[in-house]
Amino acid sequence: MAMALEGLRILDLTQVWAGPTCMKLLADMGAQVIKVESAKRMDTVRGEANPRAGGAGFYPDNEPGVRPWNRTGHFNDRNRSKLGICLDLTHPKGVETLKRLVAVSDVVGESFRVGVMERFGLTYQELKKAKRDIIMISLSSQGATGPERSYGSFGATLEQTAGVASFTGYIGGRPTTSGTFFPDPVVAVLAAGSILAAVRQRNRTGEGMYIDLSQRETTTAIIGEAVMDYTMNGRVWEPGGNRHPVYAPQGVYRCQGDDMWVALTVRSDAEWASLCNVLGRPELAQDPRFVDVLARRKHHDEIDQIIGAWTESRDAYEVMRLLQGVGVPAGVAEKGDQILSDPHFKARHFWEVVEHPDAGTHPYLSRPFKHSKTPGSTRMHAPLLGQHTEEVLRGIAGLSEGEIRELAELGVTTNIPAGAPQEVDA
Amino acid sequence: MATQEGPLADLKVLDLSEGVAGPFCTKLMGAMGAEVLKVERPGLGDEARSMPPFYHDEPGIEKSGLFLYLNTNKRSITLNLEEPAGRAILRRFVSWADVVIEDFKPGTLEQWGLDYAALEKTNPRVILTSISGFGQDGPYRDYEATDLVAMALGGILYITGEQAREPLKIGGQPSLYFSGLSAFAGSLIAVYYQEATGQGQHVDISMMEAIGTAQMYSALSYAYKKENRLRVQDFSPMFKAKDGYVGMMYRQPNWEDLCHWIGRPGMLEDERFKDFASRQAHMQELNAIVGDWVKDQSKADVYHTGQALRMPFGYICDAKDLMESPQYQDRGYFIQIEHPATGALTYPGMPLRMGDLEWDIQRAPLLGEHNEEVYCSQLGYTKQDLVVLRSARII
Repeated sequence: MAMALEGLRILDLTQVWAGPTCMKLLADMGAQVIKVESAKRMDTVRGEANPRAGGAGFYPDNEPGVRPWNRTGHFNDRNRSKLGICLDLTHPKGVETLKRLVAVSDVVGESFRVGVMERFGLTYQELKKAKRDIIMISLSSQGATGPERSYGSFGATLEQTAGVASFTGYIGGRPTTSGTFFPDPVVAVLAAGSILAAVRQRNRTGEGMYIDLSQRETTTAIIGEAVMDYTMNGRVWEPGGNRHPVYAPQGVYRCQGDDMWVALTVRSDAEWASLCNVLGRPELAQDPRFVDVLARRKHHDEIDQIIGAWTESRDAYEVMRLLQGVGVPAGVAEKGDQILSDPHFKARHFWEVVEHPDAGTHPYLSRPFKHSKTPGSTRMHAPLLGQHTEEVLRGIAGLSEGEIRELAELGVTTNIPAGAPQEVDA
Repeated sequence: MATQEGPLADLKVLDLSEGVAGPFCTKLMGAMGAEVLKVERPGLGDEARSMPPFYHDEPGIEKSGLFLYLNTNKRSITLNLEEPAGRAILRRFVSWADVVIEDFKPGTLEQWGLDYAALEKTNPRVILTSISGFGQDGPYRDYEATDLVAMALGGILYITGEQAREPLKIGGQPSLYFSGLSAFAGSLIAVYYQEATGQGQHVDISMMEAIGTAQMYSALSYAYKKENRLRVQDFSPMFKAKDGYVGMMYRQPNWEDLCHWIGRPGMLEDERFKDFASRQAHMQELNAIVGDWVKDQSKADVYHTGQALRMPFGYICDAKDLMESPQYQDRGYFIQIEHPATGALTYPGMPLRMGDLEWDIQRAPLLGEHNEEVYCSQLGYTKQDLVVLRSARII
């Protein structure tokens, strides 16, 4: 199969979630992505070099194993399809070597705190000296400028500072953050598209560019209507539970079984009538309390009780099928094991099973798009720490055997993390 | 109209989508310089025109804040695709387009003779990006989706909220926006291939899959540990300050600073809090102590002082706080856009800067605002033809 992004080479200095996911999407689609880490400062989602069993790391069966840094789920998920090298950028030789890679690359991505690349001597201006038309993207918390530019964040705190958390929460309750780091994948996908826009411009004009992407601003960009309600009407949104700003009812209802729930939305009077039929209560469609959307919004609590009383003794999947069968949007709130075995995800090959030498064989999620001619796939397991250092330095950067040996002797390319147990042979 | 020097200059995008997802995708493309032609149904147009918020709470198809935000940098024409004559006209635009974005129910374009196989015959280079609830095939293909339902089946709903209560949606319309971003990235991947090979293709965006890529923890937890991840209300413990909420994440390197800052150096000697693991084990007691201190502070003070001590704190911003954020003000994130139906209003701007490019964000079009320009100048119809087409409810 043809690969869409064949010929594009990206140096990935990003870490944690947003940046690595962005680069992984491009790698799956054919870009050659070289993940640059150092043994001194591994991607933090590789966890600690010498963790305790059952620690905070995300290890197969909670077992850190001999080389725990090669075993964490978060790293192994977001770094598939990439080559991985170790290069100590606090050493001048590391920086010099990186620049040789820049000279043969199209894109450099980084997500350090603002100022760190400058300390390495790797500003956009410097990278341009190595490659005149290089594209550089910084995925920083708050952008490269402004009084809060050097502030740190996690996805959860971005949900807070970008506005999403202020209206996420149960009705009458306090603001809440999501059960994932939701802003990270949002940033990842925007960044992936933006990089390709920049590559297009370079192909047409011969000029590279620096992209300054603010994760906080990106997260605010996906709540446009909340901002507009304030600027148009002075209205500030509060936690609204699972309800919809217009449609009613909309909610999440308990079903039979262990913590099983179904979500549904009624978008019209016709769908309300269909729901009432499925409930075996066709008369409710004519009930003045529920007859139109205004009435249903007013009596939403009563409707929730009626629906909940019906769903609680029924299987969630049966409820979904019955409602979808009459055109009412409904879906089971699937748990981890359920999404992994969901027939629709399966039929569309959403999960990709990848064998990893240190972590074993697991299913991983694929991509949020499917291309008919260039489908893309996980091309290889996430790199072991420093797995491709020599291969990349020799084959791509064009270093001599002597230069490669020198870097190794200086410790610039070591792949034994600081603090690893002595006996480990990485 | 479009930004002259934008990275997507000369990219021609035919946008048949409505609501949130497709329009968000083409909004980004338009800002980056693509020429976006938005096709709306005659009468009410894009469904977002009928969705809140409305300017001064007065509903009107030119006054929806949702629509106005999502449709900057586009031209609007009306065209009735239910009519064969409308579809014949659409084919002429397909010859012009590099990318077509659509969000009809799967199978609709096929019924109209406008599916990818048909479009490819008209224009072999064309990229068709289809956005739907569940994608173009598979057992749920014909299911109905909403933002909430996609979150449920995408696995992200189950893990948000309190474990003792029902799963909780993320506020706003995250599945829709995320699908729009996925269409943006997916389309530009196809554009890269198109420009390299001259070939188009069909890009299939499923809301369930798009939001399904954002759950991460849920699938990984089961895949790696055979454990279903439960709901986590707050990754970053949230505390009530005197004027709102702050989110605090305690990290090992900041522990001493934190104890001194909140005036509790005694905690450094406390066995319950001596290391990360013990603090995890006594999190409730720790949170009670910190919470007692936070309640008398202002949320912005806790945020800025914490950050100065390199603690990655957050403060809960509502739209007003965002508007007043020194960071957003300094970066000029919010922009003013003038519109005939609302006057000048403040909008969120572009969340990234690309080189020296100055974003040139143009107001959303009125319904059919560019009919004459497009049908007459581009397709060669006369004004008299437009009268006939309008009377026949084709445009």
